[in-house]
Amino acid sequence: MRSPRTLEVWRLGTVNYLKSLKIQDKLVSERKAHQIPDTLLSLQHPPTYTLGKRRTDHNLLITQSELTKIGAELHYTQRGGDITFHGPHQAILYPIISLRSIGFGARNYVETLERSMIEFASMYGVKARAGNKCETGVWVGDRKIGAIGVRISSGITCHGLAFNIDPDLKYFEHIVPCGIADKEVTSLRRETDALLPSEEVIHKQLITCLAKAFSYDDVVWKEDPSVILDTKDV
Amino acid sequence: MALRLLWASRVASHLRISVAQRGFASAVLKDLKYADSHEWVKIEGNKATFGITDHAQDHLGDVVYVELPELGHSVSQGKSFGAVESVKATSDINSPVSGTVVEVNKELTESPGLVNSSPYEQGWIVKVELSDAGEAEKLMDSDKYSKFCEEEDAKH
Repeated sequence: MRSPRTLEVWRLGTVNYLKSLKIQDKLVSERKAHQIPDTLLSLQHPPTYTLGKRRTDHNLLITQSELTKIGAELHYTQRGGDITFHGPHQAILYPIISLRSIGFGARNYVETLERSMIEFASMYGVKARAGNKCETGVWVGDRKIGAIGVRISSGITCHGLAFNIDPDLKYFEHIVPCGIADKEVTSLRRETDALLPSEEVIHKQLITCLAKAFSYDDVVWKEDPSVILDTKDV
Repeated sequence: MALRLLWASRVASHLRISVAQRGFASAVLKDLKYADSHEWVKIEGNKATFGITDHAQDHLGDVVYVELPELGHSVSQGKSFGAVESVKATSDINSPVSGTVVEVNKELTESPGLVNSSPYEQGWIVKVELSDAGEAEKLMDSDKYSKFCEEEDAKH
């Protein structure tokens, strides 16, 4: 009989990208040292473009100064995947979990992240699907609604997924999103006529879909985000 | 897929097949040593060649990028020395032994998929000069590693 698995969830509101990296680094160390259980960060970023380990900045179509003019930041990261945009009204989940305790490799992990988003989209009658080979992510037809970019270090995950609820899709025009030139980006708002509840409710639903997909027995909703946000290490 | 079967049958004489829960046969070679982070190492005197195992490449998915260390770089047993990218995930790879990098597999820059199609042969990643030959004692032999893979796969 395996021991029950708990997921601790922190809902952090809008967090600057670099700050979220520092928070994740700290949590990854703590998870590696078995000081914390599997943890999930739920948040949004101010307008931010990010690149993955392969530094595919040929997919950024504007200059640094134009970027600053539109009020966006650019960051290079160690995650997998190509260039992407994060911004308000895009739900971001960063799971800091131990893949070794569930015997998962990168492929299973990413497929389960995809399934979480597909399940969530179906709650609003949106038929989403996982990407074809080389097109990891979640699609509605030929339009991308959810992106994934992950880092796995000693079996502990960081970075994660971004699901478009109702972001300003114009920001995606300044990049070749995920390096895929001929496909559109879409959002939940665009794909459904259903009345969308508050973002707080939407985030909780997405988190619940992820917890279910990863078969957690227990979800602990941490009430005070300042515990994570205000520590002097970050 | 056909190429893969060809490769598997070609090394059949060296093969110990471990059958994972979902019926995928992960190849484990008898003469190598293995780390619990799924790297293999072949030790010849004070030199070692290593890469990632068949189990690892299957669990990663199609590798699209391999980050190789610099020549002369020091590696330590159990510590990260590079990374691979697959399915939008970068996964750190750990060194199974300690030493100094004397050669890296430059083929992987143009053909990262060799890690998937030939993880023990053409997909080798690094050659090092060992700094502590005794460390190999801490690694698993093929029997122990096969069992380890079965136990890991049984977790889900």
